[in-house]
Amino acid sequence: MDQLEKVIIRMSNVSKRYGKMDALSGLTLDVHENEFVFVTGPSGAGKSTMIKLLYLGETATEGEILVDGINLARITRRQIPQLRRKIGVIFQDFKLIPTRTVYQNVALVLEAAGLRPKEMHPLVMSALEWVGIGDRVDEFPPVLSGGEKQRVAVARAMVGNPKIVLADEPTGSLDPDSAARIFMLLQIAHRAGATVVIATHDQQMISSHGGRVVRLEKGCMTPQNQGGRPSC
Amino acid sequence: MLMFAVRRALADMASHKFLHTVSIVTIALSVFIVSAFALFFNNATDFLDAWRKGVRVIAYVGGPVKDDQRAFLSETIAKLEGVASVKFISREDAFNDLKEKIGDQSSLLDGLDKNPLPDAYEITLTDAYRELTDIEKLVKKVAALPGVEDVEYAQKWLLRFNGMYNLFKATGMVLASVFFIATLLIIANTIRLIMYSRREEIEIARIIGADEKFIKYPLFIEAVVQGGIGGVTGILMLCLAFAAFVPNFAPETGFAFFEMRFIPMRFGIAIVLCSMLIGWVGCYLSIRKFLTY
Ligand SMILES: Nc1ncnc2c1ncn2[C@@H]1O[C@H](COP(=O)(O)OP(=O)(O)OP(=O)(O)O)[C@@H](O)[C@H]1O
Ligand SMILES: [Mg+2]
Repeated sequence: MDQLEKVIIRMSNVSKRYGKMDALSGLTLDVHENEFVFVTGPSGAGKSTMIKLLYLGETATEGEILVDGINLARITRRQIPQLRRKIGVIFQDFKLIPTRTVYQNVALVLEAAGLRPKEMHPLVMSALEWVGIGDRVDEFPPVLSGGEKQRVAVARAMVGNPKIVLADEPTGSLDPDSAARIFMLLQIAHRAGATVVIATHDQQMISSHGGRVVRLEKGCMTPQNQGGRPSC
Repeated sequence: MLMFAVRRALADMASHKFLHTVSIVTIALSVFIVSAFALFFNNATDFLDAWRKGVRVIAYVGGPVKDDQRAFLSETIAKLEGVASVKFISREDAFNDLKEKIGDQSSLLDGLDKNPLPDAYEITLTDAYRELTDIEKLVKKVAALPGVEDVEYAQKWLLRFNGMYNLFKATGMVLASVFFIATLLIIANTIRLIMYSRREEIEIARIIGADEKFIKYPLFIEAVVQGGIGGVTGILMLCLAFAAFVPNFAPETGFAFFEMRFIPMRFGIAIVLCSMLIGWVGCYLSIRKFLTY
């Protein structure tokens, strides 16, 4: 049965070097459609680097990455935005635009995808209502609490109905209640059909969910991880 | 797509009011100075043309002229290149003319027992033959004719004006190119500052799937609008300056055949379009450096 599931992310022998530093070395990993994967490991292990490679925030030094069938090494400039529209990304530092309202922050995704304001409105509102921010759409991010900001970021990541959700330490700077709420939203997204990859060292979150865990250490996959093979 | 870009460009301009205002004012000043020069040349060219049209070369004949000599000179001068017509003005005619002109004071002339004026030929030039060098060539030829003692035209004055005109023209061109480059740099710099102040936003837009057009269009629109507003403002400033100074100035010059004109509409539009084009190029330059996927 497992074999029949579509591989949505395939990393083969992927390395990323910064100067002489190997942030990732020889990473090989398949993620299937609608999988829920934790990437964990100590600080500096390469978790963020791996996430960046997937949305093309960085390009791999070696190896091959396929995301939804697109080879990232051979992607054209025009295809990059199209790839990114299939992916929702959530960051530890939220990355909201402070000079735009909550509504505009979320709507930007759909604007960039070429939707008309009328088409956008119901989608933006339902995404914001879904994360519980529906009554604060005209406020600016700086006045929101950390948890609220991250909920806006989740709404932004989900509003385009992406196939893949990538989250880099989404709960890293949140209190436990807010963290639990964000995590719950990600689980709902997963149940709705998204493939979710979360980089985190929040052990509690990992154990409470019990999904697949990929462990990195100094840029390598450790032997005890689930799926894939140890790289060094 | 374009509507979005326009909306976002306008919103961005509103949120960077100061930057845009400074930039627009500077562009307006450049345009003002360049178009002031254009105004000057337009008028100076018209002025020279008008003056040349009125140019008459007068050849004075030494001593009384016999009838056959008179006809000979008339014919010879008429055959010279660039001569439209020749009119003989006898010393008597000239004297009577003078008397008439001074009117009441003509008694002053009564004291003269002899007419002091020489016979003369008044030469009118063809339209094609009005360049200063042409006129000088003709003057030399006429002066070399037997019997011609002196040839007169407002030579020095024209020379001086022509020299000044050329000097101004050169200065104007140099200035225009300096301001052209300055405007280009100002716009490029403004766009660069905007991109810098918004680099985070641009980065975020990219991550969520914005393509190049989505990021670039508003910046181009902003630059072109800047150039356009700056251009129009500059022309309006010139318009005001013209309205304020020229009426006080024209009557005193006393050149009845000449009236100061504002730069033609076509020219103004060309300047504004040029300034918008500069905006586009300026934006292109700064974007090429900064925005690479
Ligand atoms: N832009 C960069 N330039 C140079 N080195 C970098 C860069 N980004 C990451 N690194 C290095 O790559 C290694 C992996 O970094 P990465 O951010 O992926 O770690 P991480 O697992 O996310 O750590 P943390 O848990 O602290 O976020 C680190 O040693 C880091 O110093
Ligand atoms: Mg990290």
